[in-house]
Amino acid sequence: MMLQTMFDFAKDALQTGFRLAPWPAEPGLRQIGKPGPLSPVLVTCNFDFTVRRVMRAMRDNDAWLVVAPSSGINVWCAASGGHLGTHQVVTALKTSGVAERVQHRRAMLPQLAATGVIAREVERRSRWQVKFGPVYAKDIPRYLAQHERKTDDMRHVRFGMPERLEMAVTWAVPMSLIGAIALLLFHRAWLLPAVGMVWLLAIAVFTIYDRLLGQRFLLLALVASLISLGLTAIAGGGLAALIAAPLASTAISALLTFDYSGSTPIEGGSHFKEARWHITLDTERCQGVYFCWQVCPEACFETREDVRKVEIAHSDRCIRCGACVVQCPTDALSFEGEKGSRIEPATIRRFKLNLLGQRKVEAGREALEIDGES
Amino acid sequence: MSSLALMRLLESAPARYDAGMRVLTLGRVEQIRDALAEAAAPSPGARVLEIGCGTGAVTEKLVTRGASVTAVDQNPEMVERARARLVHSVPRTVSFIERTASEIDAFPPASFDAVVACLSLSEMSRQERAFVLKWAMHALRPGGVLAIADEVRPRRLINRVLQKLVRGPQAAFGWIIAGSVSCPISGLAEEATGAGFAIRSERRWLFETLGVVIAERGR
Repeated sequence: MMLQTMFDFAKDALQTGFRLAPWPAEPGLRQIGKPGPLSPVLVTCNFDFTVRRVMRAMRDNDAWLVVAPSSGINVWCAASGGHLGTHQVVTALKTSGVAERVQHRRAMLPQLAATGVIAREVERRSRWQVKFGPVYAKDIPRYLAQHERKTDDMRHVRFGMPERLEMAVTWAVPMSLIGAIALLLFHRAWLLPAVGMVWLLAIAVFTIYDRLLGQRFLLLALVASLISLGLTAIAGGGLAALIAAPLASTAISALLTFDYSGSTPIEGGSHFKEARWHITLDTERCQGVYFCWQVCPEACFETREDVRKVEIAHSDRCIRCGACVVQCPTDALSFEGEKGSRIEPATIRRFKLNLLGQRKVEAGREALEIDGES
Repeated sequence: MSSLALMRLLESAPARYDAGMRVLTLGRVEQIRDALAEAAAPSPGARVLEIGCGTGAVTEKLVTRGASVTAVDQNPEMVERARARLVHSVPRTVSFIERTASEIDAFPPASFDAVVACLSLSEMSRQERAFVLKWAMHALRPGGVLAIADEVRPRRLINRVLQKLVRGPQAAFGWIIAGSVSCPISGLAEEATGAGFAIRSERRWLFETLGVVIAERGR
């Protein structure tokens, strides 16, 4: 038992540190506790860490867990990047054999899968009714106990200190490793200071960059340069080190702030055209099914029971994940681009984000155009 | 030396797929496609179900041989490309369906003379493959042909070591770029047998790393 816990912890640490690489678990059906024909069916991605996390969160319950093939990537990234969509969920529900084990056809998906999985399409194609459950695995037991009712806190993505530090580790581990290997070969004396700098900057950017520095890159680069210069001077570094330190810290800061917006829910795709998109609602088309409100991880929507419509009450919070657009059955929601152009819901459903948080719209069109010519 | 670890990477850019596949298989992919098409459409008029048509290279060969083809692929860009490739095929005896392989259970029983899968089974989990082979059997008429080709695990130790050596770095690269890699199948013929097919022939190419299995549904 003790050994198992230690093994689990080591795996958690490894998979957090190298989260940018996929960690695939075997897709298929898992049993949690002693599930029967009426037990709930949960669906998740095949990122090993997530599978273990869900099993751990549900350890006192009986349930069926269907692991869908998401290329070993976590739910939110896989769903937004086209690795966990309607296809993968249909495949998992149909091929895992879960249908032979239960008498019902209701499955719960993680809420963050809503950017990729079109719930009503899954229903049409697999005859399974799917519902988006809570964002976090640890809330699943409470959600099930409340007869599959989500409270507001289960819907919202938190980005507090633990999550921020997790992302800092995820960034710093591979980066410091790459840096360390390079310096081992060329300049050993700089190895420790450089690795220290990567970690300090990673922690600083993920924890205080938006709150203390107002996401101003020049300010960050200036502070980082001054501190690294000061530390190098105190440590008695030579001229080369005194020149390299501020340059390196500026370069690392640039890399960090570039990666940071794609890997945090603070702002979506800030380097790209999409940063200027904003969510719009065609009230005429809205039929008040509230799917958008159910799946929005940032609580942008409010429901208006009196007129049976939603309203975008907090568009400033929108991170352009697109979950609401993907799920809306009447195409009432869409993004508005620069100069008021409408980005069609079909485009959002079809073209997913790449690693930098940019939608492959142009890339896709280009490929098709090239096809046409050849 | 064959290594299709980069297959997924190529797939993320369908435009590069065909050229990339030729390089990765040292040109063998062409022979494999011919072998599949020959087995699946021995005479004109064969009704063929193709699972994972990709850019439509096998589809084209089947249509050229006079088969009427139903091609399924879940990747919309691949389907688009395959459509473009076959847009001029006369008569129009091919239909493309943007669906997963797990949805072939929708076809009526015994509605095809052959089922073809070229390099698509290795992208599925074992469970998925078992499901797909079971329903391929269902969709085939008695005596119908299953023609499958994929990256397989070599039988000889030396070839297995070679495969590991070549796949390793490519897999790491594919992992970083495309987020995933496919995995060679250890018993392609065994899995077909497990689903109830009778093996007609099994051939291996390129240091035993590419396997072609021709099987049939018993009468």
